[in-house]
Amino acid sequence: MSGAPSFVVTLRKLALLFRRDLAVARSYRAAFVVELFQALLAAASFYFLSRFVESPTLKRSLPPGADYFSFALVGVAFFDYLSVALGAFDGSLQEARQNGALEHLLVTQTSLPVILAGSSLYPFALLSLRTAIYIGWGAALFGFPLHGANWLGALLVLAASVLAFSGLGILSASYLLIFKRGNPVNWVILGLSSVVGGMMYPISVLPVWLQYVARLIPVTYSLEGMRAAILSHASIRELLPSIAGLLVFAAVFLPVSFAIFSWALRRTKVTGTLTHF
Amino acid sequence: MKNFALSLENVEKYFPPTLSGWRAFLDPVSRLTVPALRGISFDVQEGEVLALVGANGAGKSTLLRILTTLLLPTRGCARVRGFDTAAEPAKVRLQIGYHTGGDSCFYARLSARENLLLFAGLNNLTGAEAARRIDELAALFGIGELLDRQARTLSTGNIHRLGLARAMLHRPSVLILDEPTRSLDPLAAAEFRRFILQDIVGAHGTTLIFASHTLAEVEQLAGRVAVLDGGHLLACDTLAAIKSATGAASLEEALEIIIRRAARETG
Repeated sequence: MSGAPSFVVTLRKLALLFRRDLAVARSYRAAFVVELFQALLAAASFYFLSRFVESPTLKRSLPPGADYFSFALVGVAFFDYLSVALGAFDGSLQEARQNGALEHLLVTQTSLPVILAGSSLYPFALLSLRTAIYIGWGAALFGFPLHGANWLGALLVLAASVLAFSGLGILSASYLLIFKRGNPVNWVILGLSSVVGGMMYPISVLPVWLQYVARLIPVTYSLEGMRAAILSHASIRELLPSIAGLLVFAAVFLPVSFAIFSWALRRTKVTGTLTHF
Repeated sequence: MKNFALSLENVEKYFPPTLSGWRAFLDPVSRLTVPALRGISFDVQEGEVLALVGANGAGKSTLLRILTTLLLPTRGCARVRGFDTAAEPAKVRLQIGYHTGGDSCFYARLSARENLLLFAGLNNLTGAEAARRIDELAALFGIGELLDRQARTLSTGNIHRLGLARAMLHRPSVLILDEPTRSLDPLAAAEFRRFILQDIVGAHGTTLIFASHTLAEVEQLAGRVAVLDGGHLLACDTLAAIKSATGAASLEEALEIIIRRAARETG
């Protein structure tokens, strides 16, 4: 047995779970190629939509340096991090339940939170690749501006976003543990975020009261920070309000969601429904 | 106090009632009113083989799941090599290997080796230790040729061997099997039983507790038999003692007598 420190053992387990998902994905070879071209089609449709709706009024509503195409492309590409965070924990739990491996995973020396965290790594890595492909197609064919972007700042915003979104993902997995399917946590968060989070339009076009609601959800800060870093070339100092906002969400959501998840897990061991789906 | 491999003290398990429709939303807070196990107490010695028998719904799988830490007992205490399954689940999981008779319990698109490497790593074996152990187990279980095939392409018998290899990866001292030959054909089941008896229990002194509906299997493997019915433990003794106490010629007849007698006593 390994005598390595426990954090090294945990990192090794996270890597193992990532390799598992990579190996499963590699067994479906055509999917990656399809993914590549889906990103091209999506980028193309945003480009032509932006040509249609471009106007001086719209230009004034956008962040400095952004046209509507690049604004929408960043919005859609990074909004997916929220979708993946909400779906990754659920997805790995459902997959293990359905293929019958969940019981066998749970009798190993690895806790369910580590199994879920490890199982979310591949979806995040795949999404990052897809985002890069989106932006790559946008830059190569449709003039998406890469020059001058603050990539380090974008990475910091992304890291803070993943922390904030993961809290929501764990909350969503807790719901799934208890109720098995029909997840309203995902539905409410994704629905609200897509309406008021500023994915396809700036939040300044919303009624004032909805702008206040937008300030209560993390995706608003994430998309603002991303667009500021990539399109407006904002410095790290200028990105601090977005990053701080996301870290506040993470500081609130993560402990609360872990507590709820622990309760839900214990409850399923009481009710005997852990492996039901 | 003597250290047993397994020890159950007055274990009770209740589940909430099955709810449907809008009442299902009450599930997280509904009361535990459906009894599955009632006042179960017995011990299993190191190296012993104990079979759990009883009708569907008797509580066999529930009891095994409590021992594997997948379920919490409502009352009472279950211990594996002295560790409480509710209070010290990680220590319990270090002691046990678990295998069920279901034939879909692997990642189908991964090879047998990739599956075993994953579970070995999750059981704290390093890559080198895991590779060595997988080679040992593959030789022992005769699955060396199959290691690089995807799990979905393996026959049910080979999936069972692979499942048992997975259960043995971290050298557990207690093996817990839930209907291990459920989906095997008679020849494969007989071979599986010989293998368990000679190579697992005989050669390594592993303690074995298993649930089964196949009485021939119980007679071939078990030193003692625990008879469960409606969550009650009706008997727990050697085969010979159970037959002699009931005056029955076969285990099947003995079970019928024990269960009928219990039904009469409870009215």
